[in-house]
Amino acid sequence: MAETATVPTYRRTGGIGRLLERYPFLPALVIVAALLLLNGFFSPNSLTLRALTGLLSTYMALILLAIAQTYVVYAGDIDLSAGAILSLVNVAIVVLMERWGGGAGAVFLALAIGLLLGLACGLVNGLVVAALRLQAIVATFATSIFFTGFALYVLPVAGTPAPALFWRTYGGRLFGVPFVFYILAALVILVAVMSRTRLVTQLLAVGDDQQAAYQTGLPVITTRIKGYVLCGLFSALAAFCITGDTASGDPLVGGKMTLYSVAAVVLGGSALSGGWGTVVGSLLGALTIGLINSVVFFMGTPSEWQNFVQGLAILLVLMAGVLAGRRARS
Amino acid sequence: MSKLKLSGVSKAYGATLALRRGDLELMAGEVHVLMGSNGSGKSTLCKIIAGSVRPDGGKILVDDQPVTISGPRSARAHGIGIFYQELSLAARRSVEENISLGKLPVKSRVFIDRSELRQRAARYIGLFDGVCGEGFSADTLVGNLRPDQRQLVEIMKALASEAPLLIFDEPTSALDRAQVERFFEILRDLKRRGRGIIFISHRMDEIKAIGDRVTIIRDGETITTLNLDDTDPAAVIRLMVGGAGDMPASQSSVPAVVEGKGGAALTVRDLSGRGFRNVSFEVGRGEILGFGGLHGQGQSAVLRAIFGAGSIASGEILIGDSRFDAANPRDAIRRGCAYVSGDRSRDGVISGRPIIENVTPIHYLRDRLLIARPGKLRDRVAPALESMHTKFASLFHPIGSLSGGNQQKVIIARWLIDRPDVLLLDDPTKGIDLSAKADLFALIRQLAAEGLGIVLYSSEDAELLGNANRILVFNGGSVSRELTGADRTRYNLYQAAYEAA
Amino acid sequence: MSRVVSFVRQPIVVALVLIVLLLYLGEALSPGFATGGQILRLLIVASLLGIVAAGQNVVILGGREGIDLSVGGVVSLSAIIAGNVMNGADGGILPAVAACLAAGAFFGLLNGLGVTLLRIPPLVMTLGMLGVLQGLLVVIRMGIPSGQAAPALSRFVTQPLAYGIPGIIWLWIVIGILLALMLNRTVFGHRIYAIGSNEHAAYMAGVPVKLVRIALFMTSGMFAATAGLCLLGYSGTSFANVGEQYMLPSIIAVVFGGTSLAGGKGGYTGTMAGAVLLVILQSILTTINIEESGRQMVFGATLLLLMMFYGRGRAMRA
Repeated sequence: MAETATVPTYRRTGGIGRLLERYPFLPALVIVAALLLLNGFFSPNSLTLRALTGLLSTYMALILLAIAQTYVVYAGDIDLSAGAILSLVNVAIVVLMERWGGGAGAVFLALAIGLLLGLACGLVNGLVVAALRLQAIVATFATSIFFTGFALYVLPVAGTPAPALFWRTYGGRLFGVPFVFYILAALVILVAVMSRTRLVTQLLAVGDDQQAAYQTGLPVITTRIKGYVLCGLFSALAAFCITGDTASGDPLVGGKMTLYSVAAVVLGGSALSGGWGTVVGSLLGALTIGLINSVVFFMGTPSEWQNFVQGLAILLVLMAGVLAGRRARS
Repeated sequence: MSKLKLSGVSKAYGATLALRRGDLELMAGEVHVLMGSNGSGKSTLCKIIAGSVRPDGGKILVDDQPVTISGPRSARAHGIGIFYQELSLAARRSVEENISLGKLPVKSRVFIDRSELRQRAARYIGLFDGVCGEGFSADTLVGNLRPDQRQLVEIMKALASEAPLLIFDEPTSALDRAQVERFFEILRDLKRRGRGIIFISHRMDEIKAIGDRVTIIRDGETITTLNLDDTDPAAVIRLMVGGAGDMPASQSSVPAVVEGKGGAALTVRDLSGRGFRNVSFEVGRGEILGFGGLHGQGQSAVLRAIFGAGSIASGEILIGDSRFDAANPRDAIRRGCAYVSGDRSRDGVISGRPIIENVTPIHYLRDRLLIARPGKLRDRVAPALESMHTKFASLFHPIGSLSGGNQQKVIIARWLIDRPDVLLLDDPTKGIDLSAKADLFALIRQLAAEGLGIVLYSSEDAELLGNANRILVFNGGSVSRELTGADRTRYNLYQAAYEAA
Repeated sequence: MSRVVSFVRQPIVVALVLIVLLLYLGEALSPGFATGGQILRLLIVASLLGIVAAGQNVVILGGREGIDLSVGGVVSLSAIIAGNVMNGADGGILPAVAACLAAGAFFGLLNGLGVTLLRIPPLVMTLGMLGVLQGLLVVIRMGIPSGQAAPALSRFVTQPLAYGIPGIIWLWIVIGILLALMLNRTVFGHRIYAIGSNEHAAYMAGVPVKLVRIALFMTSGMFAATAGLCLLGYSGTSFANVGEQYMLPSIIAVVFGGTSLAGGKGGYTGTMAGAVLLVILQSILTTINIEESGRQMVFGATLLLLMMFYGRGRAMRA
């Protein structure tokens, strides 16, 4: 009846709006493509397979950490300890691999323990934030101090090398194709599979409106804990990549990466308030950060200005990410 | 046998007693109507049954077995499904996901079973085939739907719980007639299949059409349960409002023409904007102009637009003789316009702050104050609060310590320190008690007598008939009829409101 | 009885009780910990954190997920600006103060504009700004030396000024009084609380919501700049990213002071106690003779434990 006449515009009809609604990571994709072009323009060599492999192996850890962050952001939470978990798993697996002799068996066993460690850290975060109802920002900051302390206990100073078997595999090739591309492919499949799970839908529903989700009968607390556990697991995977890339253990390696992981999530068009976003977007967001750094380098920016230009560019794309994300949701 | 039995259920929020003693017995195969004025405790009662509010005391029996409902999940396990008045939808999930959100179908234990999800959604969407309106499909995001469509999704979601016991807390407020008809057909079918249904609505005709029995709640207490066939609307209303029922409506009728105070306080010409079009009217100094009609026909939208808080596409507004086009509420306030919303918690109350800070913001703005001296402010604030007989322990108590009616008095007192020229009242008595209403209308009439131009939108006909000099009836965003003089009758108001709907 | 309970449960009371307990603990673990001179030294460190937290506090009070992650960057920037402007001469102090405050206000203004006009969430906006500031620091550091604190500034921070108490602590007390007055006795203060507790209602009551919020971010920038200036006086010269250590602790101090991250609830007096509490805790940990790793683990765990005393979120079931 009257409502139709009085309040006419509830549906947006624009094609772009539809497209953004279905694929919220499109702006991030456009930015990545543009940055790749810029890279190629300033330095044609930067688009070679070799250069792209280098880029991927350096930023694979950030990609995974951004994905880890995405699952908690889905539910409207945040994890400021993701980088600390990464550091902890990094030193733990390096130390264990070394202690067990660095053979294939040792490597796999250490990786399994690394995953368990990531899971345990995520569980702690989940319990503290969702079950004890502490504020996510300050509580995960506190756990990050704890995890960092633990990492320092495992390995007080940076430097223990990872076994050659491990980093050679990570930086090497398999059937002529660089190993990181297998990781990327596996990751894309894993993420696609994850997106079909009930858990992801539940996380998004919780982030959308926690009270409504609770009233609907969703297990809100368990769901949020599971989000943090996923974050811990993916942070552990990120640690494997950083170990492959740096070939050593460093108890503080992840500290700076946490805020970048948050930035990557925002760049990917996900809403920090929860309920909206894509993991693919975060993947692209992490790549964006990597590509910005490389464009700034290849542009011939004076070295002292590089950080500033990077910071400024990231701020600008962050703002663009937020504005595009809002447009998709409006 | 009884499907559900509540006895002596109570709930307090801090010092406020939301439910004193809730008793209810629901049989299989009946539609049991809950009635009571706003804030009487109906929704609290429903939420206690649905597990989202923890009762302080009382007993709950499902199928004659005493149960403890520990949360929404436990309620579902006990076979209880609910439609929430404020809806419980995830705006950025699709219609089909929302319908099954309470129990998402899975395969291989972790993956969502998309085909089952789709089938289930199709089943419930199919029930409303033809009345869902344009742009409604299983994969639309709920946030993109119109309010009535969202309400349909919440209904489908409640139905999809397939619970033997269903609660519908004001499910029809945004629905059109065809949608309501279809919904009632579904309810009748469920009734035949032995489901027990609790139904809340304020529309007497709907209650007559679908209800079997009615339980009346007043001030948090169950008064009685009646067979709807054995009673008439007037009797139900008398029970709802209790002994004080005759007080406000039957006051001496207001004059149809106001003595010449000189000129118009507010003139609106051909105003159009989001939610309304071609609205024109004039309010004289000392006049109370009523806005009537069904809820959501553009009355609020017009008032908000004048106050600078809505969109205006075209038209002209004058306050006194000068053009008035407020860019925002701040601008409007500076130029002598006042607006009181019925949605206190959204538009009015600065929650958690002392009473004094809730009275002073307009004064700060109009007197361009920088320093807030409590002693000095107290002298300005106290008379404003007293003029409405506001009850409070001290000016420095948080506003949350007051009852709803007293909170609204505080919000209105804001506008009394520095008098505005025009006062816009947007359903100001929503959810407040009768004595507060009486105080409020006494004040409004006094303000009019002092020469303010007042626009009063009220969802209660009695308030309009008892206070407005003239009434404009809104329908579909524009003024469909003006009632003056002896035409201001309940019948005319009702008829004009339902005319085109 | 219930009045006693509600008094004891007030965050500031909790913080003060914990401070006293920790002082006893510190004295027990390492005699001499709670002597006058030692406590003054603790207070100097606390005042630096407390001044940063002052800005963080008002931004958080303003609500809408208000938070300022860029404070660390502004502290570092201000320290380096101050060091260069005064360059060891007392005559350069006033220009340095002006330059630092201007820089803090400028970056606060940028934050505020992004948050209000473009509606970027404060966390994202100030996080991005932190990156820009860190980049700027590199630029400045490559171009110019780190500079020296003026002797008078160092004396102000480290030496007694009056009644045996250093100037920076006096400054902190003055800031505390001024902020308490501002929040409780000025229209601006009431407007901060209004937008923090119900932004829409504040808007409908004529509060210039955007202007107030921009002012809050500028205030935060200026407090961070003040802290950077004092930090220079404390350490004599500025180091790269000295300010970073204040970013998250300033938020924790605010939370320990009883201000809700949701906005609209709390005040600065509690935050001052929160800052002292945090610093004493850290200081006790440094006096215990254990590895850095153990210290951090104990610190993290204690923070979590303390948070249990403060505003835990509401249960979903009413």
